[in-house]
Amino acid sequence: MPPVVVAESLQKNWGSTRALDGATFTVGSGVTGLLGANGSGKTTTLGLLLGMHNPDGGTLSVLGMDPRTHGSEIRGLVGYAPEHDALPPDVRAYEVVAHLAEVRGLPRREAAGRASDVLFELGLGEERLRPVGTMSTGQRQRVKLAQAIAHDPELVLLDEPTNGLDPVQREEMLRLVRRVAHEMGINVLLSSHLLEEVERIADDVVILDQGRTVAAGSVVDLQRGEGPAELLVEVDDGARRLGKALSAARVSVTVVDASRLVVAFAGDETYDAIRDALAEEEIPVRRIAHRRETLEDVFLAAGDAATGAAPR
Amino acid sequence: MSDAQIFEGGYRRYEGQRLGAAHATRAVWSHTLRRILGLGRPARSKILPVLSIVIAYVPMVVFVGLAAFLPANVREPLLPPYALTYTFISAAILLFVIFVAPEALCPDRRSGILSLYLATPLTRTRYLAAKAAAVATALLLVTLGPPLLYLIGLALQSAGPDGFPSFMATLGKIVLGGVVLSAFYTGVSVGIASCTDRRAVAGAAVFFVPQAVNIALGISVFALSAPEWLIAFTMNQGALAFVLGLFGEGFGDDGTGYVVPMVALGAGVTLWTVAGGTLAWWRYRRLQVTR
Repeated sequence: MPPVVVAESLQKNWGSTRALDGATFTVGSGVTGLLGANGSGKTTTLGLLLGMHNPDGGTLSVLGMDPRTHGSEIRGLVGYAPEHDALPPDVRAYEVVAHLAEVRGLPRREAAGRASDVLFELGLGEERLRPVGTMSTGQRQRVKLAQAIAHDPELVLLDEPTNGLDPVQREEMLRLVRRVAHEMGINVLLSSHLLEEVERIADDVVILDQGRTVAAGSVVDLQRGEGPAELLVEVDDGARRLGKALSAARVSVTVVDASRLVVAFAGDETYDAIRDALAEEEIPVRRIAHRRETLEDVFLAAGDAATGAAPR
Repeated sequence: MSDAQIFEGGYRRYEGQRLGAAHATRAVWSHTLRRILGLGRPARSKILPVLSIVIAYVPMVVFVGLAAFLPANVREPLLPPYALTYTFISAAILLFVIFVAPEALCPDRRSGILSLYLATPLTRTRYLAAKAAAVATALLLVTLGPPLLYLIGLALQSAGPDGFPSFMATLGKIVLGGVVLSAFYTGVSVGIASCTDRRAVAGAAVFFVPQAVNIALGISVFALSAPEWLIAFTMNQGALAFVLGLFGEGFGDDGTGYVVPMVALGAGVTLWTVAGGTLAWWRYRRLQVTR
């Protein structure tokens, strides 16, 4: 399947501020996380993908078209849910979703039918006739998602879709986003500054920092990374005692807190050293596992590489 | 055994035709028009449009009723000439204008839905054109409808213009007058409403800005001896005077002594209409909806 988005050396300036500085990435099928700190160029990227602004340099292709010349066609095939509140409070959820589906190119009757269907799919069947202003934050976010997918786009751009949600609502929204991609077959580009969120639901990730792509690829590949092999050891208590015992056995160890420590993995002899130390100190063990590199590690390492700082 | 089958509903992909920017423009026009008229909205949203329309149409209905029920020799002096119908509806026009453009434009910016509109096949220009067209269509209800009702009502009672050519000539003037007033008020009110996202502020500005311009022009001409033709640039009165002029009623025939030629009035109406439209276009071009 060809990539949904191909960006090469993308540049965009807002006055004297360089928002994008040569970003290069591709977006494939499934959920792709667009990750970066505030001000890293995520929202600018979304605006360029929609053809709402023109890049100052580089090339961009969305669904095989250039947003500079085919912005209108692209916007008919792409859904968008912005970060900020964007729904009129005095209009019923069903009406706003149906209206925007019609504006995005569906015939009126089809737009009305699909608006109802999508609101049901997203768990708002009972609420669809309520004015948006009377809904909870979580429900409003779902209406925002509904309007972005009601016209059955090829790609949907979600800008910080979990903003303002409590943990339960956040969980539900992430589940819905994953469903949109994997059950409804709509490719998702999820812009977020929350690493853990992207890590959980994205298949691929693009990490931006100061307008540059610092890492891109599948989440699994990035997590595998090239970092040092480490074991995470969790004990009931006595991590410090265990640390001392391991150090005495010439094993490199970092105590995280009273119950966790990270051990440099050098082969099977590391397991033996841990087993012996646990037995010697009579410390009950809860878990021993290879430490998984998180996107945060990748993000921090990429940021360090970009700024030339020493690795953490 | 039953033939009934259960189908898995699930999510349906859309395989049908996708319509383009022209369809999107029509959708925004129609949605905005419904919003302006309060259709499909709570009762309180219908108060102002219904009130304006009632104020505009009731006098015409009364005159048509007089034409229907009174004998010809009695009704003749009671029925006003066509030009005079505009003075009956001018209050309704002003009331309608105060809320139409603010209702069409301001909530989209205030709620943020403008950023969603601009993420559809619509461009800024198309969006604004759809909104202006909706405002103009709504205004036609009070600038064109009542005189048209009056003309048709009188014609059906054999009290209208004599002969088909005369009827058509009057119809042409009424249509032109209605379109000119609608275009003028659309340009001015859309321009003013584009400067704020608050409906109340926009409504007040749509009412007071023309008054302020008129006062400034009045002082310039009458107190500071500026050229008389500047009167053509008074805002509401200038447009009304142009329409009255279509029916042969001169501006200043009321004894003020300042008779302004139609060309100057036409220039004034055109200037304000274009200025308002340009201001709105410029504002929306510069409006930042996302970065």
